[in-house]
Formats: sequence, C-alpha cells, structure tokens
Amino acid sequence: MKKTIQIPLGSQHISLLEPIRFKFECENERIIGVDADVGFVHRGVELACTRSFEFKQVGYVVARVCGLCAITHSLSYTLAVEKLLGYVANDRIKYLRMLMVELDRIHSHMLCLAHTAENAGFEALFMQIMGDRELVMEVQEAISGNRVQFDYISIGGVNRDLTSDLCDLIRKNLTILSEKMEILTGLFDNNWSLSLKYKGVGVLSLEDAYTYNALGPLARASGLATDVRAETSDFPYEALGYTMILESTGDIHARNFVRLREIVNSITMCQNIVDNLPIGEIQEKVKGKPKGEDIIRIEAPRGELFYLVRGNGTNMLERVRIKTPTFSGIPAMMEVFKGSQYADAPAILASFDPCMSCTAK
Amino acid sequence: MFKSILEAFKNLFKPVRTINYPAQEITLPSGYRGLIEHDHEACIYCDKCEKVCPPGAILFFQKESGDKEYRYNPWLCIYCGECVRACPKPQEALWQSETKQQSGVKEDSANEGWFVWEEACKKSRETYAVAKKTPKSKIKSEEPLCVS
Repeated sequence: MKKTIQIPLGSQHISLLEPIRFKFECENERIIGVDADVGFVHRGVELACTRSFEFKQVGYVVARVCGLCAITHSLSYTLAVEKLLGYVANDRIKYLRMLMVELDRIHSHMLCLAHTAENAGFEALFMQIMGDRELVMEVQEAISGNRVQFDYISIGGVNRDLTSDLCDLIRKNLTILSEKMEILTGLFDNNWSLSLKYKGVGVLSLEDAYTYNALGPLARASGLATDVRAETSDFPYEALGYTMILESTGDIHARNFVRLREIVNSITMCQNIVDNLPIGEIQEKVKGKPKGEDIIRIEAPRGELFYLVRGNGTNMLERVRIKTPTFSGIPAMMEVFKGSQYADAPAILASFDPCMSCTAK
Repeated sequence: MFKSILEAFKNLFKPVRTINYPAQEITLPSGYRGLIEHDHEACIYCDKCEKVCPPGAILFFQKESGDKEYRYNPWLCIYCGECVRACPKPQEALWQSETKQQSGVKEDSANEGWFVWEEACKKSRETYAVAKKTPKSKIKSEEPLCVS
C-alpha cells in the first residue's frame, strides 16, 4: 500500500498572493517531496519588448513585469541600454536612482514581513506593518507622482527632481519609520507565539544554500555572503553606509531578521542620500541606437536581478532576457520544504517572498 | 509577550488609521501624474508625442484639408509623461494635469471605440498619402509625354 499522500498547495490558495502550485508528497504531516509549477501568469513580456515596442519605450514595459520592484526592473533595463550607448550618468542621477531603489526595498521587505506574520496567524501584526508601510508609499508617491507604477527612470536620467519640500517629507517619514522599526524588531524577536512559528522552522543550511544557489535575503539568512550591491560598482553603495547583513541560522526567524535589519540599513542609506545629494542635471540627452550585447545585475529586494539586452543598431531590440530572483531561487526553496510540517508550508512560502508575476512574466 | 498584550490594549484607544473613503476625500500629493491635456491652438502638430507614447494612447487623425485632429485615450494612457518631455512646446501645447482619471464604464466604450479610432486614423493617413502622391505621379507620367 502507498504510504505517502499528495497534497497540493495552490494554484489558488488563501495564503498565496499570486498563483503558484506546489505538489507536496507527504508522509503523515511531514513533507518529503516537492514539485513546483510557476508559469500561471505568463504574459510574453520578453517577446513584446522585441516585437511591439521601440527601445526607448521598453523601459516602461519592463516596469510592468512586477508591481513591487517596478523601479528595479526599469533601472536594470535602462542601465543595460545606457551601457550599450556608452553613456555614464552623473552623480545626481545615480543618487536619485539609488534613493528610489532603496525605498522600493524598504516597502517590499515590509510587505513580506507582513505576509509572513499573517501566514503565521498573527493578523493584527499584518495590519500594523501594512499601516507603517504607508509612510514609504507616501514618499514614493510624492517623488514619482504615482503609487505603484513609478515610471521614474528613463534613458539618460530620471523624470522628476527632488525639491526641498520632498526632502523634508522623506526625512520626516523615515524618522518615524525608523522608530516604528525598533518596535517591530522587538516584536519579531520577543513575541512568544511568533517564535513558535518561526524559530527552527524551514531551515536552509549553508551548504544547501551553496549547492542550490540561493540568493538575496534567503541566502544571507543562511550566512552566504552574496549581495550584488557589494559585488558591482554601478552605484556608490559603500560610500553611503551600506553594510552586508548576515544571519547564521537560516530559519524563518533569520530571514525576517535579515529583512528587518536591511530595512534599517536602507533607511540610513536613504537619509544619507537626501543629506548629500550632489548638484547636477537630472536628464541628459543620449544619442545613438543600441548595438551589441550587454548584461546587468542589480540587487532587487528578493535577490539578484539579471538583464541581457541585445541590439542591432535599429530602434527595435533583438533580445531582452529577464532572469528574476524568485526564478533562480526555486531549487533552494524546494529544498527547504523537505522535512518540514505541512502546516508550516504557508509561513515558509511567505518567508521566501516569492514574486510569481516576475517569474512567469 | 506582555509588551504586545499591553500594546494591544493601547491600540483600543488609538485613532483609526484608515480613511473613510467615499465619505472622506483622499488628498492626492502635489505633482500627481494625472491626465494629459492638449491645447489645439498652441500645438504645431509635429506628431512627436504620438511617436514616443509607449502604449500608443495619442493618435492624430489626418483630415483631407491637411489639418490634424488630436485624439487621446485616457484609459490606455499610463501617465508616464514621455509625450510632454518630447513636446517642443511643453506646458503650452501639451501638459500633464493633476486630475485623476475616473474608471471607465461600458458607455465609454474604452476599448471598442478606441479600436475604431485607431483604424480610422491609420486609414486617414493612408488615404491622405495617396491623395498627396497622385497629382505628383500624374505630373511625372505627363512629363515623358511632353518630351516625346
């Protein structure tokens, strides 16, 4: 007689934000095998970038790959095209782009923390974090003029400048947020019922993180020192107070703590950017058409985002390849599920912060 | 643990953080990216906005007299402001307002109506191009006759 039982999770499930299907092979309550299917929201973005849109418009198209990290996608694409055109942005543009990326990281991490709390059964904490997240959303809306689709970065610069009123708003909101983060850190650290669901659950060991090529907060929670911000020199991260955040235990608790501490680090960086903003033009003319092939790597909130752009000297690109962090992290994610309880699966899944519309694009 | 219980009790007496939306208005921040507006008088009809628009929400209908008519689909527009940046006369001929677009209802025929317009604009250009070419080609065909 067969001893295992198959339990599906998804593609529609109350704990999921986006469609993904897991097929768990369970032995009593313990998961021993996992099968994942991610292609439910395929939209053909890559093909559309090469068939329907000119290279100057593609930046706005790829921003619609993901709602949460819209700015990271458009930034990666823009940097790749600017490399092909031989254009190097001035310091002010770099700082403004960095500011938006870091704000994006803060609100994305907060959403993930909220969801992990919700999936662990702490509904009130979910509400609280989402309420605090509004502080960042407000800033982003004031800077870019829209709440979700920022459309802030274009080839040759950024679309809007930072006025002194905006600087004051950023300083004010980020100060309130950093106070709130202290309370949240205490809550995540000391709350007894949360620790039951988090500590020692969904462990990814350091060797597994190496073997399965984990990336982003998932890898850093296991102690694997990988961060594109430290590895590339596209942006002056070191000068603005960037520190690599590492935890060692690799469970959900460690992942939450990597995110919490990264938020605090990003807040410091944003404050530094606003205080030390260089003077310069925000939009420069870039001439020419992309010819040749180039790649770019950017640290998105969930890990390394990879872009390949190939042009042939015309308005239409030949190839745009997007490799998103969730896609690269799936083998590591599947490894974490093995050996844990089925009841913990939603909380573990939320702690990966999966972004399915990114992955399937 | 006791801290969070205390916090929960405190929260009972704190003001509500959500906005009572339909009764209470949401204030948009200044500089909100809203609808694109167009001035017929100031526009020089260079078609630059039409070319750069990522979703193709701006179209020009070519009339036979040579004039053009500006057509804009507020539901297709992504409010990126690329057209305003491409415009040779920004703020005069084309500018981005802070009005928020209302959601479309069936009577607006946001899709079907626009498809008809798209087709009509494309056709109007073709017919205009043909009409412009015909006299020239006639002249050309007459010329060799004159020579011979």
